[in-house]
Amino acid sequence: MKAIETSPHTYLIKQLPKPTVFIDRHHNLITASDSWFSVFNLQPDTSENQPITKLFASHEGFQANELKQCLNENKTNRLHHTSISDSQLNWFESTFTPWFDEKENLLGTIIQTDNINQEVANEAELKRINTLLKAKSEVAKVGSWEYDIANDKITWCSMTKKIHEVSSSYEPNVTEGLSFYKQGYSRNRISMLFHKLLEKGVPFSERLVIVTHKGDERWVAAGGKAIKKDGKVIKLFGTFQDVHEQVLADIKTKESEQLLTTLIDNLPLNVFIKDKDSRKLLVNKSECEYLGAKPEDLIGKTDFDLYNKDVAQISRDEDLEVMRTQKSMVGVETINVRKDGSATNFLTSKIPLLDLNGKAYGLIGMSMDITHMKQKEDQLRNLINVTAIQNKKLINFAHIVSHNLRSHTANFSMLLDFLIKEKDESEKERIMGMLSHASDNLLDTLENLNEVVDISTNINMDKKSLNLNENIIKVQQNLSAFLERNKVEFINSVPDNLTVMSVPAYLESIILNLVTNAVKYRQPNTSPIISLNAKKQEDSVIFSISDNGLGIDLNRYGNKIFGMYKTFHNNKDARGLGLYIIKNQIEAMGGGITVNSEVDKGTTFNVYFNEESQ
Amino acid sequence: MKEINSIYIIDDDHITVFGIKKMLKTIVSCNDIEAFENGRLALDSLRERIQTGVPAPEVIFLDINMPIMDGWEFLEEFVTLDLKDKIIINVITSSIDPSDYQKWNDFRLKCWHYLNFKNKPIYRIEVTDLNRINITSLP
Repeated sequence: MKAIETSPHTYLIKQLPKPTVFIDRHHNLITASDSWFSVFNLQPDTSENQPITKLFASHEGFQANELKQCLNENKTNRLHHTSISDSQLNWFESTFTPWFDEKENLLGTIIQTDNINQEVANEAELKRINTLLKAKSEVAKVGSWEYDIANDKITWCSMTKKIHEVSSSYEPNVTEGLSFYKQGYSRNRISMLFHKLLEKGVPFSERLVIVTHKGDERWVAAGGKAIKKDGKVIKLFGTFQDVHEQVLADIKTKESEQLLTTLIDNLPLNVFIKDKDSRKLLVNKSECEYLGAKPEDLIGKTDFDLYNKDVAQISRDEDLEVMRTQKSMVGVETINVRKDGSATNFLTSKIPLLDLNGKAYGLIGMSMDITHMKQKEDQLRNLINVTAIQNKKLINFAHIVSHNLRSHTANFSMLLDFLIKEKDESEKERIMGMLSHASDNLLDTLENLNEVVDISTNINMDKKSLNLNENIIKVQQNLSAFLERNKVEFINSVPDNLTVMSVPAYLESIILNLVTNAVKYRQPNTSPIISLNAKKQEDSVIFSISDNGLGIDLNRYGNKIFGMYKTFHNNKDARGLGLYIIKNQIEAMGGGITVNSEVDKGTTFNVYFNEESQ
Repeated sequence: MKEINSIYIIDDDHITVFGIKKMLKTIVSCNDIEAFENGRLALDSLRERIQTGVPAPEVIFLDINMPIMDGWEFLEEFVTLDLKDKIIINVITSSIDPSDYQKWNDFRLKCWHYLNFKNKPIYRIEVTDLNRINITSLP
């Protein structure tokens, strides 16, 4: 005891930077450093020989018997305690060490007290961070793993274990860890990646399939990174995440996207989405094919870039109207004219696209190509028209036939009635003569009708390319005596090489009828002049024949001039059949005939030969 | 025998003209029966009669289908003529087109002359055809 009272030692202890106290076997304070006193907020003079337990009493966080135990046990012990100074909690750690003299006699205990505020704070922070990490890993289902190469020890965190569906006490090794991956692609891939990471430190991140301990297949995202020291890989660590639902959702999304794309692309409709400036945001395959361009060439384009201006403006107006009213435009017939001028009929619908605030930001458009249907419709309408006209013609013809046959049979009937009653022989003979005349007339009529029926029933007519001039000259030669007798001046200006599509017999009939008409209806005291001309037009050849004859009052007879049995002049040769027949012939060949005339000036007939081979 | 001053037959068919004349002989005594091949010629003659003060025919037999001017066109102009007496017009046709009958009816209603309608064949002309009553004979 006395030995330690040596003042240099005491003074030395007093100055120790680390709070230290020396106590005797009876737990009474012998001496302490000033720093120690300050920890317990004591005055050095008043504290000597005081029981240490009394001094410690100002601190909390431990039991009195704990302190006693530490002092009695004669071995190194630790005790944590706290004090409050300036309303701040301070943490301390006291280390109890037995105190021996040179001869190993127990003198007492040396207690060193450290302020451990920082450590406690660090520990709390660490604990907080760990908790947070755990929470995070649980929420995100992100686990982790570590591999210590030197000790060949792999560590899984609890989440990683959970994902593998193994117990928390499971101790994995590398081989077992890798064997969790599904045989085939996943296992081969992870083995390769792990190897590369181990050998060269190449990091990886990959989505693969594992088979859990319970046998379920799950998608996981495994990542790995290497820690190097002096260029050598010493440790591996990484993440391990359950992404099963996510992958399945992704697959599902992709599948429905694929389904939608397939559907939109293969609809027999042109589908497009436009933004509010009518720029295309999406186009399907049909739309691309229709416009003969790739999708990337169409995205961002407006109708003004793709169609002619008028069409584009109509479409833009429709777009604006749909977006303004937010009402769909459904099944409207539209016509698109592409830049190359080709027109297409569409049945178009436009549906506004609304954002979450209910404002239109664009539209979906769908157009069905109905050009084909339109053409069919037109053809049908034409057919109906043709049929109606033919029907009318047939009815007209039936009336003519019935009228003409009736008029002859009526005459027969009447004359026979006379004959039966007649007594006078010479009168009988006169009636017989008339009967025979009526019979001739009937035969003529039948012949005429036959001629007309021939045209109407000649469906398989054989149109040929015929030189017009050659045919005119032929008719001119056949009529040479007739023309000469009537002193006809014949002016033929038809080009030599001009051809028309016609049935040979019809062409001759047309020329013959028109030329003879021009002569028949000449002015009594003027020499007839007949001018013939022809010129080629787009789909037809116009053949004109003009005379300086009587002319005809078209206001009066215009609608009858081509009628059957219509004659307009006191001409004994007029049968009222010529124009009717050639009109039928021309129309049967898909052509037409028109007339211009002025009374006492002359008449011009224009014959249009249809040059389209049907 | 009924006496009639003047009769016109307007028809381009000679046999019909012959028949009508023959049938008339049996029931009527008339020294002035004129035949015309079309409406135009008949109209010209009528106008001349009006101008020269010769009485117009009392009875006209009128065909429908004729060249130059048919029966309807003739009637169109005929109704505009300044005639003092009502004239009996027998429309005689072989047409069985209902539209012809309709036309006859339209004329009958709008002109103040007597208009009869007869379909061919005709075997006799009745005295009633020459009287001033509207009748029609349909087959």
